[in-house]
Amino acid sequence: MAKIIVVTSGKGGVGKTTSAAAIATGLALRGNKTVVIDFDVGLRNLDLIMGCERRVVYDLVNVIQGEAGLNQALIRDKRSENLHILPASQTRDKDALTLEGVEKVLGDLSEDFDYIICDSPAGIERGAQLAMYFADEAVVVTNPEVSSVRDSDRILGLLSSKSRRAEQNRDPVKEHLLITRYNPNRVDDGDMLNLEDIREILAIDLIGLIPESEAVLRASNQGVPVIHDDKSDAGQAYADTVSRLMGEDVPLRFHSAQKRGLIARMFGGGARR
Amino acid sequence: MSLNRDRAEIAFTFKGGMLPMTVMELASGDPERIRAQLAGKVSQAPAFFQHTPVVLSVEQLDEPHLALERICAVCRAHKLLPVAVRGGADPVKQSAWALGLGWFPPQETRPRAVDSKPAEVPVEAEAELPTPEATGQAGGRIHRGTVRSGQQVSAPEGDLVVIGAVNPGAEVLAAGSVHVYGPLRGRALAGIHGDREAGIFCHDLHAELLSVAGTYKRLEDIDPRMLGRSVQVQLKEDQLRISALV
Repeated sequence: MAKIIVVTSGKGGVGKTTSAAAIATGLALRGNKTVVIDFDVGLRNLDLIMGCERRVVYDLVNVIQGEAGLNQALIRDKRSENLHILPASQTRDKDALTLEGVEKVLGDLSEDFDYIICDSPAGIERGAQLAMYFADEAVVVTNPEVSSVRDSDRILGLLSSKSRRAEQNRDPVKEHLLITRYNPNRVDDGDMLNLEDIREILAIDLIGLIPESEAVLRASNQGVPVIHDDKSDAGQAYADTVSRLMGEDVPLRFHSAQKRGLIARMFGGGARR
Repeated sequence: MSLNRDRAEIAFTFKGGMLPMTVMELASGDPERIRAQLAGKVSQAPAFFQHTPVVLSVEQLDEPHLALERICAVCRAHKLLPVAVRGGADPVKQSAWALGLGWFPPQETRPRAVDSKPAEVPVEAEAELPTPEATGQAGGRIHRGTVRSGQQVSAPEGDLVVIGAVNPGAEVLAAGSVHVYGPLRGRALAGIHGDREAGIFCHDLHAELLSVAGTYKRLEDIDPRMLGRSVQVQLKEDQLRISALV
């Protein structure tokens, strides 16, 4: 049986797809058979981040509506043979997804995979609810700013009431907090919420902290999940996150401001690695 | 001089107000079924039926014509005063007006799947309530854990005890008092049926809104010196008084 993990946030643009791609890739690189599903029907992005946009033939909606088999729609990742991508449809909307259809797809995938990562659309409507409904675990992606924290809080409320686990009175969905775009210098300046404030409000386990990094944007545009960039701080932070998801105890990094050296101070203050 | 004359001529002023109001959500338009259920309720909670104003909500009914006059008569016979009708087709609106009742448009339709009902709330048996204050109240409720944005936890009769935080965008309501053993960052409404003796008690006040029996204060109106403290909120002379606990 595969473990189903939803990557969700409520708010848009906080890094759900980047995180889903990095986490799925990280799990696959550790030898787990992993599939990542794009639930953002109509705003397909995951294939771009994964760099497989030219290989999309069939998608999730085709499979649900019986127009294609699962094996026709699954795209094998170029870099890791353990990783598959199930893209979303760009031409349909989220009403094309049905609960029964999603259940069948996840059930079929469960037989062949160790991990199923569901990349949720933004919002709290049908698409987001379907992405989270069957989840065993949830990674709630949050930026260090008040509106993102509030939306994450809302999503956590839905996870505890609108998931299959909640409705069947089983053990609740295991919730993890993933903070992205964290910039310790700006936290110290008071521009961003600090780690402790976010943890205090959301009151769930921290699974990872991803520093704000140019490596993320570069990775997105190149279509290579940032976790492959193991020299970058963001890539290393995602690798730590994957370790923790797999149950390892890894110390937290990148949460405090680095003292800038003399050279960095001389050549402009905006140096971000 | 003109000022004085103006004041003398004023017979009234219009003021906006938020009053606690009971909505009677009708699931049936049959006056006899309503009568039977009301008779049972009166024996359970006689104190509630003292010419209590109610709004009859007919949104769930699909009938274009309603025996509104008979429904009102049944309500009055049980000491409920219908003051308005909410929802319903045009004939319902016309007959409400003919009966001297107000009419409200249906509530905004929200996506049902998302938040048409308050989040499911674990409620422990009353016998397990740790404080005598809460056990003494019939229908009191206790909620353990964080109340999150968009969630609503209510105790329609009695006190509500929250052991955990009430986050921004969350709402906790009680017919009696509201006790929050944790930071109160959302909205807290006590005395929602008009109990002016009810209060709000919390550790770490950061509430978006505090209300007792319909009198409210927004975060903006709260003395900043009280923020972050353990406080009690009570209604005194039509004003909310916030004072530090210990």
